[in-house]
Amino acid sequence: MVLVLIIGDCHIPHRANSLPPQFKKLLVPGKIQHILCTGNLCSKEMHDYLKTLASDVHVVRGDFDESTQYPEQKVVTVGQFKIGLTHGHQIVPWGDIESLSLVQRQLDVDILISGHTHKFSAVEKEGKFYVNPGSATGAYNALDVDVVPSFVLMDIQGSQIVVYVYQLYKDVKVQKIEHKKKT
Amino acid sequence: MASKSKVASFKEVLSKEEIDIEELRRLCFYGCTDKEGIRATCWKILLGYLPVKRKYWEEELRRQRSSYHRLMNDVIINPYKEEDQTEAVDHPLNPNPDSQWHKYFEDNDILLQIDHDTRRLYPEISFFQLPTMYPRKAFNTGVVLGIEALKERVSHSSLPSQKVESSRYGVRKVKIKKNEEEPFSPLKEGEEGHWEVVERILFIYAKMNKGIGYVQGMNEIIGPIYYIFAQHPDSLWKEHAEADTFFCFSNLMVEIGDNFTKKLDRSRAGIGGSMNRLMTLLKDRDTEIHKNLIDKEIDPAFFGFRWITLLLSQEFLLPDVIRLWDSLFSDSERFDFLIYVCTAMIICIRTDILAADFSVTIKLLQNYPIDDMQRILQKAQDIKQFYSLSKR
Repeated sequence: MVLVLIIGDCHIPHRANSLPPQFKKLLVPGKIQHILCTGNLCSKEMHDYLKTLASDVHVVRGDFDESTQYPEQKVVTVGQFKIGLTHGHQIVPWGDIESLSLVQRQLDVDILISGHTHKFSAVEKEGKFYVNPGSATGAYNALDVDVVPSFVLMDIQGSQIVVYVYQLYKDVKVQKIEHKKKT
Repeated sequence: MASKSKVASFKEVLSKEEIDIEELRRLCFYGCTDKEGIRATCWKILLGYLPVKRKYWEEELRRQRSSYHRLMNDVIINPYKEEDQTEAVDHPLNPNPDSQWHKYFEDNDILLQIDHDTRRLYPEISFFQLPTMYPRKAFNTGVVLGIEALKERVSHSSLPSQKVESSRYGVRKVKIKKNEEEPFSPLKEGEEGHWEVVERILFIYAKMNKGIGYVQGMNEIIGPIYYIFAQHPDSLWKEHAEADTFFCFSNLMVEIGDNFTKKLDRSRAGIGGSMNRLMTLLKDRDTEIHKNLIDKEIDPAFFGFRWITLLLSQEFLLPDVIRLWDSLFSDSERFDFLIYVCTAMIICIRTDILAADFSVTIKLLQNYPIDDMQRILQKAQDIKQFYSLSKR
């Protein structure tokens, strides 16, 4: 069993000052093993914070990230799954499933994780899985000001994935989605 | 020739319909033999796992072993097990103490400690690092959702990753790090080292006995027991070494568990009481050395703590420890003899201690110099005999 946290689009300090306290209370060290970050952390402090949750942190570069050390795209292997990680501002139209599936084929991955839209989504298309964790701080984006803060926790075991979605309305709502790899 | 007759005499005692425990104790006291798994059988009887009546063995073993397997399934929390769905979704970050996931992560804390200790169990011999012939299949293949090898639960790893780059001509390239070697792994997929079996036994024990839990040092106690059981020449016994070790270890902990309980440290039953008895006995047998230790302000906790709690398993090499435990287990007033042995150990190096200053004495006691087990046992027997005579 592997617990992978998927989080991104924090925009700290530009559009939000910190993660919501309700999320901070949930995110404790010692549970999560790996972190995949869709970028736009925007500050080194945020990267350091993620490092305290798990030692293995993978970040890709968003359009507001100043650090040039982050790569544009990354391919990570978790057990039987190949996971592609990209911020998503390069893929137009933003968040479009057809465009995303193009990237999925280019990278040849089973799961494609992207961000940028600040809106949670988890879609299965032709046996491939597309996850967007949304914005962890609920920061506004270019098209929308009304953003629900959210992040995603993936529990990967063998050929099965359980996705837990954490969304902050008045308090934290957790939703469970299952996905199975087709062979 | 002598060894042959020893095997014969053990066989004679063990083959009786109702085993004479006194007779067996007498024999074991002078050392068991590893031939034909006699030592394993003797320990099982002496630790009260096998009944003295042979006809009950089969039934008893079947009952205990199946109950161990039940325990294993019950105790290792599977957060995926479907509970009633009426309540809100249980999730890994749930801070609620009733949550299955919360309990699962709490268990991981105990497991981490056990994992650290069992990985380095008896580093001087290779046995515990070798794969066992009887791994728990369900734990390794991961077929059963939620149950995996215990070591995986607490291990830290980095995911293999590649950066994707696009050149200015628009060509995408997945950059694979060169000379990225496979991490060294001594065990193949699906194999399980002996230390993992020990880890599982200790974890189940800790879960079953919340009062004691897991205390560092238990791994040193269980090591020799498992070592003997898992090397039984008969595969029928060998296969069940795990379950047998669990019950023998539990039985043994009933007797010496007080030493591991923090609350009892200062009481008579706990480790403090045992150390006092050691010093009283020493005073009785050899006033000079006792006075010398007191003058040098050497607290028995400096050495006796480890000697007594770990049944001297850290002071000698494994073969000597096993020989010593033959005598310890066959002691009818269990663990009196341990105190005699400890006293004998101090008396055996009395000339060195008398000549040494504080730091050298500590070194002598913590790094015991004599490896001749026979000499120490002989001395301990003399002490024992003296007391049993004076009692009469």
